[in-house]
Amino acid sequence: MAETKVVLPGDIIDTSLDSDEEESSVLRLGPGVAQIDEQVSAVAAGVLHSDNEKKQWWVVSNKRRYVPAEGEPVVGVVVARHGEGYRVDIGSAQGALLPLLAFEGATKRNKPNLAVGTVVYARVAVANSVMDPEIECYNSHTGKSEGYGELAGGFMFKCSLGLARRLIDSKAPVLNALGSGIPFEVAVGLNGRVWINTEAPATTVLIANAIKNSEFLDAKQCRQMVKELLEKQ
Amino acid sequence: MPRPDRRENDQIRALHSILGLLNRVDGSAQFSAGSTSVYCGVYGPVDVKVYDEKLDRAVIEVKFRPAAGVSGTKDRWVESAVRGTFEREILAQMHPRTLIQINIQAREDDGSADAAAINATTMALVDAGVPLRDMVAAASCAVLADGAAVVDPTLEEAAAAQSVHTFAFAGSDIGRAGSGGASGSTSPVYVDSRGDFSVADYDRCYDLCLRSAQRVLAFMRTAIEGKIAKESQISVV
Repeated sequence: MAETKVVLPGDIIDTSLDSDEEESSVLRLGPGVAQIDEQVSAVAAGVLHSDNEKKQWWVVSNKRRYVPAEGEPVVGVVVARHGEGYRVDIGSAQGALLPLLAFEGATKRNKPNLAVGTVVYARVAVANSVMDPEIECYNSHTGKSEGYGELAGGFMFKCSLGLARRLIDSKAPVLNALGSGIPFEVAVGLNGRVWINTEAPATTVLIANAIKNSEFLDAKQCRQMVKELLEKQ
Repeated sequence: MPRPDRRENDQIRALHSILGLLNRVDGSAQFSAGSTSVYCGVYGPVDVKVYDEKLDRAVIEVKFRPAAGVSGTKDRWVESAVRGTFEREILAQMHPRTLIQINIQAREDDGSADAAAINATTMALVDAGVPLRDMVAAASCAVLADGAAVVDPTLEEAAAAQSVHTFAFAGSDIGRAGSGGASGSTSPVYVDSRGDFSVADYDRCYDLCLRSAQRVLAFMRTAIEGKIAKESQISVV
């Protein structure tokens, strides 16, 4: 992204295209952008991104309250068990439903039994504003778990949604810097929850602190911070 | 007659704000004009009690707590003013069956607290990422006994005034007025006038408040843009 354009709610977004095929074009408005009356305007504060080829516009903003979106990985806590599935707290307005059979290889006879308080890593399967969200612990197309499922042991903490989005990138500087120093497991949910698992509690504390501290640091500062933390250990 | 704090009649007090200063809420802001200072914390969209649930839109709940003592009827009035203003601006239909809770805590009230409450709420809602149709900026104006209209009155000035007016405007309306449009073409989203006043007084206050709201809006814009620019710079690296 060459230039970053910051928009605020109410700012009108110029969606006029350079090409001539304007009549037939369909505009795709992503998060933070909506049609208000006759115009397209921003409804959230953030950095405006656009893809002129696909005629897409969206605003990237940092929030703390999760609004589910289909396909996103989330970390949740089981809060109740019903006849048809588990109720899982993923930080959204309504708890998400995790069907009993939405696990790899689950059958009516043989299915995982999760206790209340279990941490799960899941993918949002159904998300729209009028229904409660639904999540699943496997890829329903392939039937494989693909890393989703119960997160046994370990430690879960919360962070901002913007930080979670940066952590899920495989090039996330803080995770790479930590990973080159100490072994640990991590699961990042786009709902602003991070689960980590290490061999010793002291390492867990170190990693959790490092990730939380990285919120306002750039790549270079991240590496420096991790280096200092590892030296102190 | 000079004002007690030596301001010009159309001069607002120094503005100050902090975004996201509260840890546990989804969005928060502190907004201060001189010694009047207000905190606002926003939760949303969160789960709503079945009793209050609206099937087609989010419920907006506003709580206002005064700086000292228990909240009373006057505070209910501020709550209804904020709720009325923002029910129009929040895109509540985007999050049906949820609650957007706005908690306002006055830290110090030295006049024009209702305008400060509206401004703080705008900033907290933007910080929380609640979908908004537009930003809202508010300003107050008082007509003194000698007929002079002064903006952003202190508690002392407001107590001695003939009438006190508070106006809130939507950002796009302010922008249109700023770009040379006639001031009559903008419509305020909130008006509160108390005391004895003539139509001429009202019009005078309207123009003064519109100009003050322009400055407040520009201030809020700078503050929010600064925070986003700082955050996005990190994510780009």
